[in-house]
Amino acid sequence: MTEDISQVKIKLVSKEEDETLRVPEAPLFVPVSLKRYGLSEVVNHLLGRDGQAEETRPISFDFLIGEKLLRTTLDDYLVKNGLSNETLLEVEYTRSALPPSFLAAF
Amino acid sequence: YDVVQDLDTQSPPRDFEEARELWRVSDQATQELASGLCEQLRLILEPTKSTKLKGDYKTGKRLNMKRIIPYIASDFRKDKIWLRRTKPSKREYQVMLAIDDSKSMYESGSVELAFNAVALVCKALNQLESGDLSVVRFGEDVKVVHSFDKPFNGHDSGPKIFQWFDFQQTRTDVRQLCESSLNIFEEHKVNTDLWQLQIIISDGVCEDHETLKKLVRKAREERIMLVFVIIDTLNSEESIIDMSQVKYNLDPETNSMNLEVKKYLETFPFDFYVVVRNINELPEMLSLILRQYFSEVAST
Ligand SMILES: [Mg+2]
Repeated sequence: MTEDISQVKIKLVSKEEDETLRVPEAPLFVPVSLKRYGLSEVVNHLLGRDGQAEETRPISFDFLIGEKLLRTTLDDYLVKNGLSNETLLEVEYTRSALPPSFLAAF
Repeated sequence: YDVVQDLDTQSPPRDFEEARELWRVSDQATQELASGLCEQLRLILEPTKSTKLKGDYKTGKRLNMKRIIPYIASDFRKDKIWLRRTKPSKREYQVMLAIDDSKSMYESGSVELAFNAVALVCKALNQLESGDLSVVRFGEDVKVVHSFDKPFNGHDSGPKIFQWFDFQQTRTDVRQLCESSLNIFEEHKVNTDLWQLQIIISDGVCEDHETLKKLVRKAREERIMLVFVIIDTLNSEESIIDMSQVKYNLDPETNSMNLEVKKYLETFPFDFYVVVRNINELPEMLSLILRQYFSEVAST
């Protein structure tokens, strides 16, 4: 039960040059169960990229925390790094460089 | 009932000298504000002047006309024929101050404001001189750090309360706080006319708004007022006002989860809350929200 509702405050940042790929820097309260795919969905939602047309089609993003690629859930990251969800996590996103078939794994 | 732990079995995380110095600083910072808040609270909590005339007395302000005929018929023996203005009864109340001791308070730089708010509210209520005060801390656990049964005095009680806060708890269990508080209030309810008020001081970041909403409603049914003071960060980029929340809703048609992003405060479970960035704003904000609360209570 607690697992399902547990959330953490994150701040999404990006170094993408393309201005249209930047989301507001205000904090977001998200489930700690999110992985790359869930976070990617959130970023696309914030960018208004949840359509079918070329310019609104979702993009695949990768996520980095402390310059390291996130390959697990946010919760796993917190636990492995001795952190709790009381902290504000700065999460960087970049356009995915990996092939889609590989991305599905995490 | 084990979540509310016994103070005697644990030692506080902060030593007395350090806590005393912290109290001294907060005490000084809130000196004038406390008297101001005290006056405002006096006006709000003061019993309304009774204007009703009630009988039956042997002397009084005005004759009770209904008693005249029986008076004469009884050969002037039934002489309780006067009405009097009834005295307004003193409004009794209990205030529980609940302080968020979780680590997010420390990380968002809310500690100083939280300490000042505790000093401010404790002193203002103490100056009012009628009503009991209790202080609890919450985070992973809920702990009574000053109980209703004890008198409050600044020199000793203040530092002793501060000793229990180090803002290192790794959870913010507001649900447990609400459940425990309802029980504590229940235990201390001496009569049904008692007003029970809880002032929660926190950065406002908590999970499970749906469940909390139910608890807030339950408290209201039991005439327990819950007022939430959100301490907002000074860093405007991280303000709770701009914060959003990611939610997933089940779409009954496609049976899939739909992503929704809403402003965090839109689903904030407490009806009566204020967002404070500066201790100087607190007296005004607190009086405002309490007045609003009482006027709503009076109209329902
Ligand atoms: Mg917290």
